[in-house]
Amino acid sequence: MSNTIRRGAAIEVTALTRRFGDRPVLVDINLGIAAGESFGLLGANGAGKTTFIRLLTGYLVPSSGTVTVDGFSPISDARAVHERIGFVAETSRLYPELRVRGFLRFAGGVRGLSGAPLRDAVDRALARFTLEDVALRPIGNLSKGYQQRVNLAQAFLHDPALLIVDEPTAGLDPLQQAEVRRELREAAGARTVLLCTHDLSEARELATRVAVLSRGRLVACGPTAEILGSGDPLALFRGQEVGA
Amino acid sequence: MTALRALVRKELAVLFGSPVAWLTLAAIGLVTALLFFDHLRVYNQILFLYASSTMGGFESDTVPAYVNLRDQVFLPVMETLALTLVGLVPLVTMGVFAEERARGTDELLATTLLTPNQIVAGKLIATYGFIALALGLSFVYPATSIVRSGLGLPHLLAVYLGLFGLGIALASVGVVCSAFTSSQLIAAISAYAIAFVLYDFRWMAQFLPDAAAQAIDPLSMHLRFGAFAEGLVRGADLAYFAGYVLVAFALCRLALDQARVR
Repeated sequence: MSNTIRRGAAIEVTALTRRFGDRPVLVDINLGIAAGESFGLLGANGAGKTTFIRLLTGYLVPSSGTVTVDGFSPISDARAVHERIGFVAETSRLYPELRVRGFLRFAGGVRGLSGAPLRDAVDRALARFTLEDVALRPIGNLSKGYQQRVNLAQAFLHDPALLIVDEPTAGLDPLQQAEVRRELREAAGARTVLLCTHDLSEARELATRVAVLSRGRLVACGPTAEILGSGDPLALFRGQEVGA
Repeated sequence: MTALRALVRKELAVLFGSPVAWLTLAAIGLVTALLFFDHLRVYNQILFLYASSTMGGFESDTVPAYVNLRDQVFLPVMETLALTLVGLVPLVTMGVFAEERARGTDELLATTLLTPNQIVAGKLIATYGFIALALGLSFVYPATSIVRSGLGLPHLLAVYLGLFGLGIALASVGVVCSAFTSSQLIAAISAYAIAFVLYDFRWMAQFLPDAAAQAIDPLSMHLRFGAFAEGLVRGADLAYFAGYVLVAFALCRLALDQARVR
């Protein structure tokens, strides 16, 4: 990982709607995330969090509305957006047959790194996430905790301005969860972090501001302490209360 | 280009990280060797019969022209190797897109600097590269027979060009099938179904009017490969196989685009 941590990237979402066929999955989402902010996107399974991320990365095309990263559209300016994005998903979304170093070389290569800069970035990532001892082992042979460290390492290789983290501790034991959260906190630096989770304690620990999605609608948005600190936060998951 | 190169390397590493690639290479090497030696054994027995005194021996010029190394060993081996490709290539291609989608790693690819065109190109290049490697492994026995029979290197190269064309046509079918599903099983079964239909249309001729049968016959892979097996390298046959690459590229792009707007 680079010593010079870039500033974060700002996200603007305006009237964003996504349907799968006739079924609306996200409806009229308006949201702004400031550069450098650690933002939590909360919601029950099926609330639309993953669809939101997919629209943000350009993996899906919006049915209507816009989403921009630093003013760039993931559809028409995909390269500019992808240069800014580091993406961490669940541990299952890796290549189990690849060795750790080989996978990191691939992850750096597809982000435009080659030669000495690629070697340096991989070595730094291995050191930063304490992966040197397992660098030559196949990812599939590692514990879930190690796999998630590999996942984090690949996301930081190109020093991204925006870190998108989708359910980073899903399937991990409590010790591994604590370790991944610590790694995330330390590595985030001045970057913008978008954390998607249904784990409220994770959001409290990592996000300064949160938004809650319920059945595809934004039902609350505000400082973490305010949204999750009072009343019954789970009521928000059920869409029973509409916040600020 | 850096990103494309990284993708091609990853595709090959993933392929060789699974038993399918090794089993396919072993199967092709084994099938070629067994077929070669079996045909060679039969050829030698035929020669022995003709050479025996009861048949008149070689000197009496009784060995028919068709009893030669090319027709008795080389061409049958190549013919069966072509059929073997029909059986094996879908196993190699079934995971190209489907496994990526099933694992969710396609989402990771979508956040990199790779464009959709590069993703498709990288996967096709890696798959075709594997086909070339597999055919390379089968080269030694036919090469021996062709050298011994004095047929010459150009003919051997023509046959291998045909085999490679056939291989990339089959791989193209398989990759396209893989691009439209997240199930490797469905990808493999659909690739087999399409490949068996496209391989040879002669079996359909009995169900079709003559005009229709004649019209579709030039579309069969087997017919196109047959010309190469005879040592003929024709532009139309090369264009036929190149057409598979172009169609596969377009359909894979369509599959990626459809997934984004579905």
